[in-house]
Amino acid sequence: MTPETFFTFFGICVVASPAILLALFGLTALLGISLSERSLAWLTLASVLFGLLSSLAILGMMIATGTRHVPVEIGNWVVIPEQHFHFHLKFIFDRLSVPFAILTFVLCGTIGAFTTKYLHREPGYRRFFLFYAIFLLGMIVSTLAGTIETLFFGWEFVGLSSALLVAYFHERPNPVRNGLRVWSVYRIADASFLIAALALHHLTGAGDFDGLMGAGAWPKGHTTISESHALFVGLFLLVAVAGKSALIPFSGWLPRAMEGPTPSSAVFYGSLSVHLGAFLLLRVSPILEVSPLLSAAVILLGLSSALLGTLMARVQTDIKSALAFASLTQVGIIVAEIGFGLRYIALIHIVGHACLRTLQLLRSPSLLHDYHSMENAIGSHLSHAPTFWERIVPSSFRAWLYRFSVERGYLDTILDEYILRPFVFFFKWSDRMERRWTNFLSGKEPPDKNLSSMTKTSTSLEELL
Amino acid sequence: MTDFPVVPSLHSETNLILDKKLSVRVERLKHQIEHAAHYLPAQGPITVFVHHNTLHAFEEMSFDGGVQTGGELFGCHPYLPEEKYRQYLEEDRIRTVDLEAVLLDDLGEEADRLVASFGTRYALRLAMLQSPLHSGSSAELKWVIAETDALRKFRDDVFPDVRDRLIAETRHWVMRDFRNGNLKQNQNQNQGTQYLIERVFKQFNKKNIESWSNKIWEEFVLRFLFQVCHHGFLLAEEEKEEQAENQNVLNHVQRHRDLLFQATGEDSDLLVHDLLIRFCSAFLDQGFGDWELPNREAGFYQSFIQLYDKPYAAPSSWLRKLSREVHRLNQSEMGALESIDESLRLLRVSEEEQESFITQTLLALQGWAGMVWQMETNAEWAIHPAPAESLIEFLAIRLILDRLAISYVARNVLWFDCSLQTLRPTLLANIHEEDSQSADRQIFTLFQLAQIRGWKPEDLQQLTQEQWRTLLQEIGDFSELERRRIYHLAYEHKYRNATLDAVIAHSKSNVSKRNQASNTKTNSRPAYQLVCCIDDREESFRRHLEEVAPECETFGIAGFYGVAMYYRGALDAYFKPLCPVSIKPQHYIVEAPLYSQVQAEQRRSEARRRIGRMTHQTHRGTRTFLGGLITGLFGSLAAFPLVARVLFPRATSHIRDYFGSIVSPPSTELHTERTEKEPGVDVGHIGYTIEEMADIVEAGMRALGLGEPALISDLIIICGHGSSSVNNPHESAYNCGACSGGRGGPNARVFSQMANDLRIRQMLLERNLVIPKETIFVGGYHNTCDDSMTWYDLDNVPVSHRPLFERAKSQIDAAKARSAHERCRRFESAELSISFEEALEHVEERSEDLSQARPEYNHATNGLCFVGHRDWSRGLFLDRRAFLTSYTPSQDDAQGTILEQMLRAVIPVCAGINLEYYFSTVDVEGYGCGSKLPHNITSLLGVMSGAASDLRPGLSLQMIEIHEPMRILFVIETTPQVMQRIIENNPSIKKIVEGNWVQLALFDAESLQIHRYVRGEFILYQPEVTEIPAVNSSLDWYRGWRDHLGFASIHETEKTITSSETISS
Repeated sequence: MTPETFFTFFGICVVASPAILLALFGLTALLGISLSERSLAWLTLASVLFGLLSSLAILGMMIATGTRHVPVEIGNWVVIPEQHFHFHLKFIFDRLSVPFAILTFVLCGTIGAFTTKYLHREPGYRRFFLFYAIFLLGMIVSTLAGTIETLFFGWEFVGLSSALLVAYFHERPNPVRNGLRVWSVYRIADASFLIAALALHHLTGAGDFDGLMGAGAWPKGHTTISESHALFVGLFLLVAVAGKSALIPFSGWLPRAMEGPTPSSAVFYGSLSVHLGAFLLLRVSPILEVSPLLSAAVILLGLSSALLGTLMARVQTDIKSALAFASLTQVGIIVAEIGFGLRYIALIHIVGHACLRTLQLLRSPSLLHDYHSMENAIGSHLSHAPTFWERIVPSSFRAWLYRFSVERGYLDTILDEYILRPFVFFFKWSDRMERRWTNFLSGKEPPDKNLSSMTKTSTSLEELL
Repeated sequence: MTDFPVVPSLHSETNLILDKKLSVRVERLKHQIEHAAHYLPAQGPITVFVHHNTLHAFEEMSFDGGVQTGGELFGCHPYLPEEKYRQYLEEDRIRTVDLEAVLLDDLGEEADRLVASFGTRYALRLAMLQSPLHSGSSAELKWVIAETDALRKFRDDVFPDVRDRLIAETRHWVMRDFRNGNLKQNQNQNQGTQYLIERVFKQFNKKNIESWSNKIWEEFVLRFLFQVCHHGFLLAEEEKEEQAENQNVLNHVQRHRDLLFQATGEDSDLLVHDLLIRFCSAFLDQGFGDWELPNREAGFYQSFIQLYDKPYAAPSSWLRKLSREVHRLNQSEMGALESIDESLRLLRVSEEEQESFITQTLLALQGWAGMVWQMETNAEWAIHPAPAESLIEFLAIRLILDRLAISYVARNVLWFDCSLQTLRPTLLANIHEEDSQSADRQIFTLFQLAQIRGWKPEDLQQLTQEQWRTLLQEIGDFSELERRRIYHLAYEHKYRNATLDAVIAHSKSNVSKRNQASNTKTNSRPAYQLVCCIDDREESFRRHLEEVAPECETFGIAGFYGVAMYYRGALDAYFKPLCPVSIKPQHYIVEAPLYSQVQAEQRRSEARRRIGRMTHQTHRGTRTFLGGLITGLFGSLAAFPLVARVLFPRATSHIRDYFGSIVSPPSTELHTERTEKEPGVDVGHIGYTIEEMADIVEAGMRALGLGEPALISDLIIICGHGSSSVNNPHESAYNCGACSGGRGGPNARVFSQMANDLRIRQMLLERNLVIPKETIFVGGYHNTCDDSMTWYDLDNVPVSHRPLFERAKSQIDAAKARSAHERCRRFESAELSISFEEALEHVEERSEDLSQARPEYNHATNGLCFVGHRDWSRGLFLDRRAFLTSYTPSQDDAQGTILEQMLRAVIPVCAGINLEYYFSTVDVEGYGCGSKLPHNITSLLGVMSGAASDLRPGLSLQMIEIHEPMRILFVIETTPQVMQRIIENNPSIKKIVEGNWVQLALFDAESLQIHRYVRGEFILYQPEVTEIPAVNSSLDWYRGWRDHLGFASIHETEKTITSSETISS
């Protein structure tokens, strides 16, 4: 077996294992075959293990042969010659994607094992694992993507499964409401991503990262596009990153996403999904190099998110929100690191932070137990000695800062007030105008304007006889 | 028009009269809020979870009245849903005989009352219970009629002969009287019938009526029947007085938000709760948040006002308004109560509805409001209790927010400016209830009943208007709620009768066995005795021990063993109470390292302190900017514990235990003896005096019925219990209920140490209580989650007793493995083919597994409490469903003084546990805390569901999933006279028993008769069956079963042990 066939074989294995898992779960659900808890668990485990071993094999071979950049082509899936469009499926194994793929498999595998027990006897067991399979595939595809379309494909899968998992307990209104909110933010991010992808196509003629980044292996690539183009594409990508990684001004969704079962909160928002934005930045990092302005924007966004995150984490009184904002802080720092060009540090930071946060979130129901043991060990109540900052900041400003943090920096309020409300207002206005117009055309009296929806006309049973 | 006019007159100096009125109003408000507070959940911080009746506030009522009134107030189910009972009916968990019995009993004299010439009320109701009558919304019923075979085929559960008779007779009648439409004109009544039947004929081909097939006739009959029912209903409704109008009106006031929600679908509470939940959790935080709420010590109202009266407010109109309003209140220096008064007037809440309105407002966020109240009234021990009047201030803030949110929503959604004063009337006028809903439902019910009961259209159409009304009234009276009540009684009836039959049958066989035994053996002094808590989880442990070691005896008394104390272990930072919540301990006990090892312990405790500080630093640090950065960079190391703990929980915990043992304290001793006069926490004040210790030991021995030396064995093991689990915010709910949710090991240890003290035994001699010299006591602790056993002070066991102890220990080890094995049958993740050793490993793993949502099932399935001598219940398989309290009537006086003492604790405690399980099961979202999976610990006080929600008291779905919600059945070995006296003399017992919150039966072990408590009297129970299955061991009975199991007698023979051992190997 030559190294090329070796890479191609295992490369396909890495992507195929989650894809087959999703196909199995999806098709059985579609055909109404209900798999038992045990077989779901077993299939998940097998798929993750197989994917993990395959990626380890690739890593080993890469080290052995000293290769740093392994593209695996799966060909064009859609070709429209007239429009010069092709959907090109290509995966890259390099120093960025391999560690990230291994991280994904390790964390998803652990969460999978955790969830098989945690969700035992839960009516939505199968549903959870279906979303889980979508998520896993999405993560792997976007991690290994070699073209921007492929990355978008995986990115969408991750977004879809995340929103559905936030709304996992769909019998209560809050999870559904918050799931919808996460979904809306993701849509904004996706739209921005799509514009960036189109622009990239336009600029380079293909979505291939090679075209964008030059031929060098990550992180040594050099982009071929001009500074202003880089800034243009980069800013759109930055919006996508901010949406996915809950940076300013989208931070509000992160704590709201803690509605699902604890393990899904852990893996999706605490560890993997929230880093996907940072990963995208790492992937396109060569364009940051050509545009100092873009780098500055990235640093600014990262640092301000981190600062806001750390402020908000200070005032949270529930464990999951506190961890969510703590995650935000670190993701902000990671983004800033990327802006400074510290790519390896950022990668190490991502891996470390993801593992640590997953463990913390999984253990979050142990909080009372942990506090109790710490108190017992120390022998007194856990006191918060006033910190340096508390001593130098005047109390009235502290109170103001407290309210600012408790209201979560007013980020959600601003989005609601200045983006959502005008939208809703406009559509409602259009609705009224349309109704007025149709009434005018049909010559009917307008029905009682406000409360008309409340009264329903109903036919008697007798009419049916 | 402004929504919140400044009210200047309130504080003007001239208006003294108004001020006086204000003070009166304010007083009344205070009173009303306090009254409303009783309806709030009474659960305190989750770290000291105490089971109690969820509807404690309704205990003055009867059970049925309480669950129905409470259910309406809280919007929760009073009983299980009807479908659930129907399912039980199909599964034979409810039998027809049960339904018949409880229905007859419930109706009493009314049972035979005739209903409009269609049989008795009893028969009608029974039919309604036996056959699931389909019901639903109008739209659903329309669909059923239009799209299903409802008008073509008879229901499946109609007996064929009834169906055939109905078709045949109607056919005859139609052929005879209506075929040609030439009916005798003088029959006035039949004109209507003629009209109806013509309408039905329209849908059939009347010409060849002679050759209609049976199928067509069936459809014809059904369509006609439906027409008749429909017509009858209309007839009954005609000229009916408007009396039923008030039926659907709620007993409580509707808040503005409710009306607004009904009218627009927009929920103003969303705005309010989003803000209020965050503020409440910050206000009540017990030290989780890094920053404390500013001005928290100024109270809820002031700190809120100070916080929101800061400049640069939020950039949204609703928050800006809040800021303005808060500023006004701050400027006018209005107090909380005055603000409530103002809000109520602005909302135009009249005086009559005021109290109900306040209750509803508080209940809208009942979890948090309840916690504010608990922290204000009941938590002086907490780090941050809430100041007095916090609930009042909570309400004041809540009403301010309500006002603003309502006007905001009304303006945004309704598109008109509406003053708060006129909002409710405006909304009310615009909300129309659909009354066709109930009409459709009634007609369809009538139609179904007519099929089941075989009412002929011919007879039906002859009913007068009055008769139709009676019939409909009768059906309406037996509403869904009533049906569920009866189902529930039947559900309890079956289990109760099975229990009482089993008690009689089993004690009969026990008596005959004992008679045989007493012929052969004279000396029946047991080898050793084990004393456990009355807890239902110890039932299997005791039963298995008795099977393994027939020569031993077991007892059950409340697991704090009479030692009500504040206890501080060698590893603990604080004292915590170990006794029932109803008792406030006076004494303090400390566990300390042995005197010779104090220095070694100091080094270790210093190491522990360092580790603790470091852990705390890391814990907080990972959430900060710099700390997070550093830990994040090295965070990859976390992958190891992460993977290890999830994949190999048991091995990981062994490793952690190993490292933990390096710094854990060496051997310890208890400081139990007090030298100073007053008990307290200081040196010398800790512990009890000899006198007090003697009192405790005496009370314990007498309660156990061990007043005579002949009854006492050489070794008495006192065994406390508790539970340990990880990743479980409700951990303390799994501990000993008699120790306020603490672990009862120390109590057992203290009791044993006292009872071993020769000075105390000497003192007891004077009180005529002899504990033989050769008797020793050993304390132990049973962990009900991993079924481990910890022993205390084994160094003090004399050499002479060690062989006996060794034997007891190995038998107890065998028994706990078997008990674990029996528990495992309930866990789906444990194979049914598991062996004893594997079972023990399985439960150990459960207690250490982060991903385990069900470390154990706690009190789930509890349904019984036996108070009496173990003789008659020994060897009866109770499926871990019974609290077992030892009581020997022969050692008690004629008044039942010991029994009374015992029942004072046992009845309220067991009823509390049982009722909490009842309510959390019948409505796990309303009364319980929902699924455990999205729980989120907040303020170190309780759990929310997901990111932010109301606090969730009660039990989780995972805790109650196998529970059968039934009122607990007490079987007490005493006479009706004694029990009658105890009920009369103890208000707390009287309330529970007379209100039927528990079921009560008295057992006479001599005559083997049972008297059941029914409406204030004790009535002799007639057994249904006299035999119950007999098996050789518990294992033979439960092997291979997951579900609830019935009763069985277990024969204690040597064969038992051998037969089970072959399976284990």
